[in-house]
Amino acid sequence: MTPDQMRDVFFNILLGVQGVILFLCLLRSIIGPSVTDRIVAVNMVGTNTIAIIAVLAVRLGESYLADIGLIYAMVSFLAVVLLTKVYMGAYREKKLKEAEARKKEAGEL
Amino acid sequence: MAWIRFVLGGALMTGGVVVLALSVIGVYRFNYVLNRMHAAAMGDTLGILLVLGGLIVLSGFTALSLKLLLTIVMLWLTSPVSSHLIGRLEVHVNERLNEHLKEVKH
Repeated sequence: MTPDQMRDVFFNILLGVQGVILFLCLLRSIIGPSVTDRIVAVNMVGTNTIAIIAVLAVRLGESYLADIGLIYAMVSFLAVVLLTKVYMGAYREKKLKEAEARKKEAGEL
Repeated sequence: MAWIRFVLGGALMTGGVVVLALSVIGVYRFNYVLNRMHAAAMGDTLGILLVLGGLIVLSGFTALSLKLLLTIVMLWLTSPVSSHLIGRLEVHVNERLNEHLKEVKH
């Protein structure tokens, strides 16, 4: 066997293993009890996807797939920043509403 | 020469996939978010470095390997920031944080 054929077989095995890892990350994001668990799992899904895209870029010899991986890294970072901001804002709003309700109750009594 | 490059790159990539698998196992075995983040960060930095480093060794000195190097740099810059944001969210939002913290006595 030449090194090129060996390389293709090796990449196929590696891609299979990475697919299993990606599926386990997805499962973790479904069963994660808290919101933060889910965000950690989504971050891991992004990392594994970047690894798979990079392997595919070399396997298929397509240079533009590496660009897609680079952009995916930026987008997954942006997703984590936005999700944390949104959940922090939602939590603050909930707290504010609870405090207002308590104040109103105290005023009525 | 091709064989040396293949063996070196293949060893690096296998190590990287093993690290990624270990990080998933760690996320399943720990039972609190702030502990799980340690395992997740391992895959973010060392796993990506080994997988993409092996690909750079395999593909040689091309524009593709420069892009892969940029991806590594990008992930290494953004992963600590996102870990910090996740940790801050957990500490702010979790009202029963003290149940998970243990006092360490020296």
